[in-house]
Amino acid sequence: MTSRITRRRFGQLSGLAAGAALVSPAMRAATAPDIALEIAPYTLEASPKHHFKTVAYNGQIPGPLFRMRQGQKQTVEIRNASSEPEVVHWHGLFLPPEIDGAMEEGTPMIAPGGTVRYSMTPDPVGFRWFHTHTFAGKDLTKAQYGGLHGFVLIEPRDAPGAYDREVFIGLHDWGGHFEGSDDGAMSPVYDVSTINGKMLGFGDPVRVKQGERVMMHVLNSSPTEVHWIALAGHRFQVVALDGNAVPQPKTVEMLRLAPAERVSAIVEMKAPGKWVMGEVRKHIQSAGMGIVVEYAGVQENATWTQPERLIWNYRQFSASNKVLPIGDEATRIELTFDSKFEGHGSEERWRINGKSYPDTEEPALKAGERYRLVMKNESMDDHPMHLHRHTFEVRQVDGGGPEMTGLRKDVVLVAAKSTAEIEFVADHPGRTLFHCHQQDHMDRGFMMVFRYV
Amino acid sequence: MVRASLLAIWCVLMLARVAGAQGNYEIQVYGADTVAPKSLMVELHSNYTPTGQTKVIGGVYPTNHQEHETLELTQGINDWAELGFYVFTSEQNGHGVQWVGDHIRPRVRAPDKWHLPVGLSLSTEVGYQRAVYSPDTWTWEIRPIVDKTMGRWYFAFNPALERTLHGPDVNQGLGFSPGAKVGYDFTPKINCGFEYYADYGRLGGFDSLHEQQQQIFAVTDLNVSPKWEINFGVGLGPTAATDHLIVKGILGRHFDWGKRSAVD
Repeated sequence: MTSRITRRRFGQLSGLAAGAALVSPAMRAATAPDIALEIAPYTLEASPKHHFKTVAYNGQIPGPLFRMRQGQKQTVEIRNASSEPEVVHWHGLFLPPEIDGAMEEGTPMIAPGGTVRYSMTPDPVGFRWFHTHTFAGKDLTKAQYGGLHGFVLIEPRDAPGAYDREVFIGLHDWGGHFEGSDDGAMSPVYDVSTINGKMLGFGDPVRVKQGERVMMHVLNSSPTEVHWIALAGHRFQVVALDGNAVPQPKTVEMLRLAPAERVSAIVEMKAPGKWVMGEVRKHIQSAGMGIVVEYAGVQENATWTQPERLIWNYRQFSASNKVLPIGDEATRIELTFDSKFEGHGSEERWRINGKSYPDTEEPALKAGERYRLVMKNESMDDHPMHLHRHTFEVRQVDGGGPEMTGLRKDVVLVAAKSTAEIEFVADHPGRTLFHCHQQDHMDRGFMMVFRYV
Repeated sequence: MVRASLLAIWCVLMLARVAGAQGNYEIQVYGADTVAPKSLMVELHSNYTPTGQTKVIGGVYPTNHQEHETLELTQGINDWAELGFYVFTSEQNGHGVQWVGDHIRPRVRAPDKWHLPVGLSLSTEVGYQRAVYSPDTWTWEIRPIVDKTMGRWYFAFNPALERTLHGPDVNQGLGFSPGAKVGYDFTPKINCGFEYYADYGRLGGFDSLHEQQQQIFAVTDLNVSPKWEINFGVGLGPTAATDHLIVKGILGRHFDWGKRSAVD
């Protein structure tokens, strides 16, 4: 009989075993790492009236921005000065499972007080991020609820850049508590929402100049919430999703980002004034999700223009709307998502093909083969599905329409009661985690691991 | 003769108490949630008494074989307040369909941002009922409401206090009329459990058990849709002062005022 190790227990065991032993003080003193991260207690001031005790990377929320050159090896040192075991997931990078940052793949946890050091080769090019990958359960201040995240930009060896400057935007929600929703499920709701750790009116504005082309790298680091973002008086030319250039850049009124999704969009600054960039939905903007974009030399109150509808679809960015045959070379893996009711006062268990992690199947992959994940979402919730260590191509969303091509991502939102299909090439051997990026869902079993044979 | 008069007075007092608690017009243990703003909850309470009081006492109609239909309209004011309004009617052989009375019921609850471990709200109700259905024609009630959902279990407690404003009981002070509910989710849509209703009599001087009202209902709630509320139950009253058998049903429907936009 084999005993299964839960996520929580795995963290306790590996954290105690691994973290402290990896780096000695002498080693640390020998050479300075390219990337140094310290995880330590921190109090976020979202506004003078809204404070959240949490942990942060290098004493800031969001954590630092790391710019790296594609293929140029980086040494990483992570010190855990918090009271809980930690692990850092490099989201969207092609890293081996030992350092990808998920204990389910085999990355050791870093014990409290411990330090780890390793090297990594950044790939692929684009807007990535890093974040904690721990268990929160009923404590909605831990794990991704606590806001442990930062930005990564992997630049190509030569980057001409059709823009004048870059701005990094991080969306997050704070002060979560579980509430029963209309469909009887328990979901987190939040008191405060922020951009770059601040509520609207309390952070530094984004200062721009007329005529600039500003590349906005927007990350939704919310533990559970989809966000809709607009910039009054301006439009976004979307050039990349999840850091990957889209086949058809499109200019849109607003962005939709599921948890863990990123959008890179160029904004032409041609409407001098002081504008609000924020959540389109009124109740979330009023909870704080907004930032002021201020043209140089402008003295006036910030203006918001309320959109009347929510508009977004993945398909507009794909290469082709013509009917393509479904590739026979891809091996289909059918995955059905649903939940097991545990009572109106409890959070449901999430299942893939009828099983919750750690009892979920471990499909076998052959290196070099192409696979098609057919994700049938039978639940009443949307799910942002994330595949670690790989990029996939979105081929179908909402259960119909022509095949899509060329839209490469690492997170896709699978709408409630719909089917989405993605394809990927198994080109990064090693255990590979696949999960819903909603913290409460992954904590309740919405994960599985692919293994290479 | 004196004994018969005392008995008649006692019966009237018992009936008055039933009416004051809305008796078998609205048989419901309240949950702590309030109706959302910009929405209206319309409920129809249908209660039938197969075995009840059979005699006309003090001019008050007997409850036996009475069919009560109560319309309840509850409008959400904001995230923590609502206003309810009742129209009570009764149908009975020999009396036809008659209007019984009206009540108005404002209610507030602890806002979500207080993050309390239980649901908490406070309701107050004042209203009129005709003397042929209750000698106490004007009554007032204050009802604290506490509830809690734990896994598949649901618990609610309503320790209500009542007072007569006009009628024979006007000098009786506060009466204690608690209600409680326990339910279990057998499926996402079916919850079954028990509801308990009582009238212990005056605070500081409870009646003897024989004279108290005690009712226990076996109930089912069907959660078929967030728009609908369906409750059905059968209740037994073991004491002399209680109608011995009551069948109740509640059918409710939420209506939203105006079109709520996706961007709200």
